[in-house]
Amino acid sequence: MITVALIGNPNVGKTALFNRLTGSRQHVANWPGVTVMKKTGRCKHKGEEMEVVDLPGVYSLTAASVDQLIARNFIVEEKPDVVVHIVDSTNLERNLYLTLLLLELEANVVLALNMWDLVKARGDQIDVDKLSKLLGIPVVPTVATTGEGVEKLKDEILRVSKEKPKRRLVVGYGEEFEKLIRKLEDVLRKDEKLAGRYPLRWLAIRILERDEDVLKRVGESPIKDEVSKVVKVFG
Amino acid sequence: MGEELLEDLDVVFAEKRYEVIKSILSQVWRKREVKWTFTDLLDHAFLHRGLGIPIFLSLLWAVFLFTFNFSEPFMVMIEMFFSWVGGFASGLENEVFASFIADGVCGGLGSVFVFVPPIFFLFLALAFLEDSGYLARAAFVMDRVMYRLGLHGRSFVPMIMGFGCNIPGIMAARTIENENDRLITILVNPLMSCSARLPVYVLISSVIFGAGYLAAASIYVMYILGIALAITMALTFRKTIFKGKPSPFILEFPAYKLPITRNVLTLTWERAKWFLIRAGTIIFSVMIIVWFLSSFPWEATGGGANIEASYIATFGHLIEPIVKPFGWNWMAAVALFFGFLAKEIVVGTFGALLGSGEEVELVRDSLVEAGIFTPLTGFAFMVFTLIYVPCVATIGIIARETNSAKWTIFSIVYLVALAFIVAGITIGIGRLLGIP
Amino acid sequence: METPLAMLPQGSSVKVVRIVGGKGITRRLVEMGFIPGEKVKILHSDFSGPILVSVKDSKVALGRGIAMKIVVDGLSE
Repeated sequence: MITVALIGNPNVGKTALFNRLTGSRQHVANWPGVTVMKKTGRCKHKGEEMEVVDLPGVYSLTAASVDQLIARNFIVEEKPDVVVHIVDSTNLERNLYLTLLLLELEANVVLALNMWDLVKARGDQIDVDKLSKLLGIPVVPTVATTGEGVEKLKDEILRVSKEKPKRRLVVGYGEEFEKLIRKLEDVLRKDEKLAGRYPLRWLAIRILERDEDVLKRVGESPIKDEVSKVVKVFG
Repeated sequence: MGEELLEDLDVVFAEKRYEVIKSILSQVWRKREVKWTFTDLLDHAFLHRGLGIPIFLSLLWAVFLFTFNFSEPFMVMIEMFFSWVGGFASGLENEVFASFIADGVCGGLGSVFVFVPPIFFLFLALAFLEDSGYLARAAFVMDRVMYRLGLHGRSFVPMIMGFGCNIPGIMAARTIENENDRLITILVNPLMSCSARLPVYVLISSVIFGAGYLAAASIYVMYILGIALAITMALTFRKTIFKGKPSPFILEFPAYKLPITRNVLTLTWERAKWFLIRAGTIIFSVMIIVWFLSSFPWEATGGGANIEASYIATFGHLIEPIVKPFGWNWMAAVALFFGFLAKEIVVGTFGALLGSGEEVELVRDSLVEAGIFTPLTGFAFMVFTLIYVPCVATIGIIARETNSAKWTIFSIVYLVALAFIVAGITIGIGRLLGIP
Repeated sequence: METPLAMLPQGSSVKVVRIVGGKGITRRLVEMGFIPGEKVKILHSDFSGPILVSVKDSKVALGRGIAMKIVVDGLSE
């Protein structure tokens, strides 16, 4: 069975899409240890069963809020086969921010350009193929409220779950920072536990951003002092 | 690498990401410039400096009107149904069983199901407003006021929902990120008079004031008093226990949209479900217990007719001293006690104690006859009901949402204390003014 | 001229210069799109109470306190 995580900003129609995918086969519980609602459901497509998990609506994946940590930890630890990122296509500029963060987490992303009907109504134009090429991930226009595009979305979900992801977009942070990132990666590689769990580049960038959660985990690692030599982030 | 440079890296990196996004979009996206959109037009009205709040208050009034008008026919049908079943059951052979079905089950189930229509319609209306995108605008308009009151703009929706039922109101506080703001909102929510207390107000006010504008006015006063107390307590908490300013208010405005039936219904159901399940099982079980305690010992009470001989009377007399200073008798004490479990039970308990079944009109007549309340003591009783302890289901939700025994217990203690104080002040002022 | 966003009138079009605040606020604002150089338009402000602005194609409401922490450079449109 494939696990599919749904993620997106608040108000993008994630709930509507979740309902479209899972119909009445839904189950509501709480994420362990917190009072945030966790919705899971089942979806069958072309003979394959998918378990769909609705992650909290978030703008980013920092450790700053419980919702974001839940979403982030789910992707990192449960390693879902596919992460469907739903965006409000009339507001791509901010919505794509989360996409880049997901790619940095090395998730298998499928982008659902939701509210496609509004894009058409406004007269805006989006080159879907080009966007897909630039990001390196499949992009599907959808209208969750009517169901338009959802079949194609399910096709892409299945396809991505089987095929190895091709070239994902990687954000470069400039020569100076890239040097630091590489140095950090070299140090982090030595902690097998960390390296096995998280993408190294992602860890390095989070350390530079002083992400509280990552700093805590690295702080418990034997390589903590070596990391301190590269950047002073502890104490 | 310099320390200073490291300080702002998350902003620096964010800028880089947006740069990449801009470059992608320049190749992929063409936007058509529009001067005014429908959303802008609506916002101009809804956020208008002078009109914003009046528009909001009118919409709120419309919501209440919608709720009460649409639910009334359903409530009547449900009452009629249970009366019919009850009447049918009283003709049964076995007296105890007949009483169990007629008074216990029908009384119990009846008092739960009769509230399903208003709760459902209230949640429906609120879900509609929420899904349409309007509630964000309302929160914006109210934030100015709420900020001064030590509340967060986002406390607004939970407070409004509290008028329907405190349970979803408290659950809605989840959207508030700051712990202190959230806690204050949760602690103060029970003071928003939930729909379960309405039957008590209706009953008591009609007993002491008869049918007329004085009765309606006294009910209105309860709601206003609840709001005033909520504001006062919020300010007090903000100044004492939770020092500091409300956390930053950042809220994205979704575009307006015509709510999708399916989403609205799902939202409504998720909230109404809580009321049905929790309140349903609890109210029903308690009514059975009340029926039992007031009907037994069977011979002594003559099948529930002579209430003074029942177990419940014994219990009532035990706790009577607590409420004597307010001029209430043991029946009121018992009603309040069981009201702790669910507010609707206050009416039901009076009904059971006075042997008049569930119908508010009948209970009212019995209460008037029994002369338990005077205008002053009755009014104080309403005040007490407004404040003291939310129903046990709500307490359960508070426990869940705060994840803390300390705050749950605190909420119970402060509300009971506040109830005694305010009711006491009411009686005190009333006596001074020579009100009967 | 640099001023806090909160002090500008309705209708102003400005550019974000920087955010003066703790890590938490900065992050939240950045996530919303308030990054240096970003164009912001004040849609609704009446000098007491929250402010509604348009940033990155969306409408965001900001409490007065937060709006005081966003330093902007007034542009003329």
